Amino acid sequence: MAVGKYIKDVFGVVKSLATGMKRTLYYFFHHKEIITQEYPDNRDTLVLPERFKGEVVMPHDEKNEHRCTGCQACELACPNGTIKVITKFDMIDGKKKKAIDKLVYHLELCTMCNLCIEACPSDAIKMAQTFEHSVFDRNKLIKVLNNPGSKIMEGVE
Amino acid sequence: MWSFSEIANSIHEWLSKTFNPTWTLIFEMVIAGVAVIGLFALLGLVLVIMERKVSAWMQIRLGPNRVGPKGMLQSLADTVKLIVKEGLTPNGADKIMFNLAPFIAMIVAMLLLAPIAFAKNFQLWDLNIGVLYVSAVSSIMVISILIAGWSSNNKYSLLGAMRSGAQIVSYELSAGLSILAIVVLSGSLQVSDIINSQADGWWIFKGHIPAIIAFITFIIAVTAETNRAPFDLAEAESELTAGFHTEYSGMKFALFFLAEYVNVFIVCAIGATLFLGGWMPFHIGNWTGFNHAMDYIPSSIWFFGKTFFLIFVIMWFRWTFPRLRIDQLLNLEWKYLLPISMINLLLVTVMAILKWHF
Amino acid sequence: MNGSDIIFYLLAALTLVCAVLSVSTRQIFRAAIYLLFTLIGIAGIYFWLDYQFIAAVQIVVYVGGIVVLIIFSIFLTQQAGEKLPKQKIGRKIFSALAVFCGFGLTMLQVYQHDFIETENEAITTNVADIGRKMLSTNAEGYALPFEVVSMLLLAAMIGCIVIALKSKPETK
Repeated sequence: MAVGKYIKDVFGVVKSLATGMKRTLYYFFHHKEIITQEYPDNRDTLVLPERFKGEVVMPHDEKNEHRCTGCQACELACPNGTIKVITKFDMIDGKKKKAIDKLVYHLELCTMCNLCIEACPSDAIKMAQTFEHSVFDRNKLIKVLNNPGSKIMEGVE
Repeated sequence: MWSFSEIANSIHEWLSKTFNPTWTLIFEMVIAGVAVIGLFALLGLVLVIMERKVSAWMQIRLGPNRVGPKGMLQSLADTVKLIVKEGLTPNGADKIMFNLAPFIAMIVAMLLLAPIAFAKNFQLWDLNIGVLYVSAVSSIMVISILIAGWSSNNKYSLLGAMRSGAQIVSYELSAGLSILAIVVLSGSLQVSDIINSQADGWWIFKGHIPAIIAFITFIIAVTAETNRAPFDLAEAESELTAGFHTEYSGMKFALFFLAEYVNVFIVCAIGATLFLGGWMPFHIGNWTGFNHAMDYIPSSIWFFGKTFFLIFVIMWFRWTFPRLRIDQLLNLEWKYLLPISMINLLLVTVMAILKWHF
Repeated sequence: MNGSDIIFYLLAALTLVCAVLSVSTRQIFRAAIYLLFTLIGIAGIYFWLDYQFIAAVQIVVYVGGIVVLIIFSIFLTQQAGEKLPKQKIGRKIFSALAVFCGFGLTMLQVYQHDFIETENEAITTNVADIGRKMLSTNAEGYALPFEVVSMLLLAAMIGCIVIALKSKPETK
């Protein structure tokens, strides 16, 4: 029986190795399968995967309005203190209403973990696909996400 | 017609007309030496770029594509880089031995080129123990690795050297036995005799299944002997940084690197000579028309074509399989390859005595 | 002096210098490597004599086998870069005397022997001839010594296996 197993082993090994070699030979002759992106050369035609995450942005509409209520859920959700929400109180109709003054985002600390986006109750922030972030001064990585003079969109609580 | 042997003959005639025999011999030696060094340089450039392109395409990558047209000058740029780099010798190293090791590796590679027939009637030294000479001299190859490993005074180097020693010494056996199979079939150790015995068909076709088994064992064993993946335990990057050449840099490293590729070329040339007929064109029995058509392709193209095909096969191995563990490596040799090639040798002997081959 | 002589003297010089170095060095690994060069020099002399088979066997057995074994035992027992202790003067004198006695004996033999010059062309020994001689059973054959040596090697191999066999731990 030992001899039978030995011979079976040898043939099994040969067969499995041949399978692997067939695959690599297929790749060798099929250059269309190459997945390498020649990045700086194909910058204009670069297609990023749908789930690629580059940085956190806050979309504004044409009236310079955003959806952020200043609830600070994103700040709480962030694992490494990337987001600081600085709030102010607007007087609307004689009532005090909480709103954001600045939403400070430290790109140099961000790990693109997507937790803030999931935590946001009003879908005010989202992940953008930009990725060419390099700058000469570190301070340029500290970004204020809301545009100057922007307001909260009506109907968002 | 233009051929290597005619060029060699005309040079020889011109030299013997102009000088006395001693000077003729000296000049011929110098020419042969320069030709061998030139071949080495060329092989280094060609094989490195070939390896990188083959590996890239097998792994669905692009490979080097920046230097020169389609990246073909990449290895030239690497060579320039290695030449201008400083060759460090570590403080605790045994200086003489450390600097000697890469040269031994190169000299062994040069010696191994002697009995290889590059084209019809074009051979440096057709000695009557050709194949035995190759397997004898290639056993010196391990010495350079052992020297490099010991004299670096580095634990990784030493471990790499010991592994490589165990590996080369054990795989020499099955390489030798598979070579013997062809020696038994052709009845001679001389390289020219072996090639001439394949005039009516290569041994891999004439020798039925035992020749094919011998061929496979030979390829596996020489892959291990030249320390290439999946048997590159001597320089296993993930375990031993770079094994025996951890401490080497600059030109001394380049010599080891070059010696590896030259050795690959040599073992593939031997394999092509033994199993695929060397420079002998592809002939089938009595098909005279077909055989004549094949004769029109120059013999050197046949030789280099077969050799580079085998080199491609070895590269194919390297980029398909993961590295073996040391115990798996020794198991493969002592429990599988050696018994199989011994039984195979017995079969071949029976076949040769009963004249079952074509 | 022609080219052949020059090559002979070069090979002889390589062999002798490396032999002296191999006994005079205090680093054991270097001694092994010098021994290796000595053996390669001897193989070179065999090649020079056109005894190609013997030369190849010299390289296979001594260089590929014995020196590698010596180097392995050095790897397993010694530490890299350490020098051996200096020998006592008495030992040095004794070994020098022993060497000179051996050298004298050899030279005596060489000078007492009459080397007969032959008129015949030198013949290259064929591997096939060596093989036939080795296995022929007639008066000039070497079949019996060959078989005896192979029996000895077989016994040595079995002995090695017996020594290396691990006794299986008893299962309770």
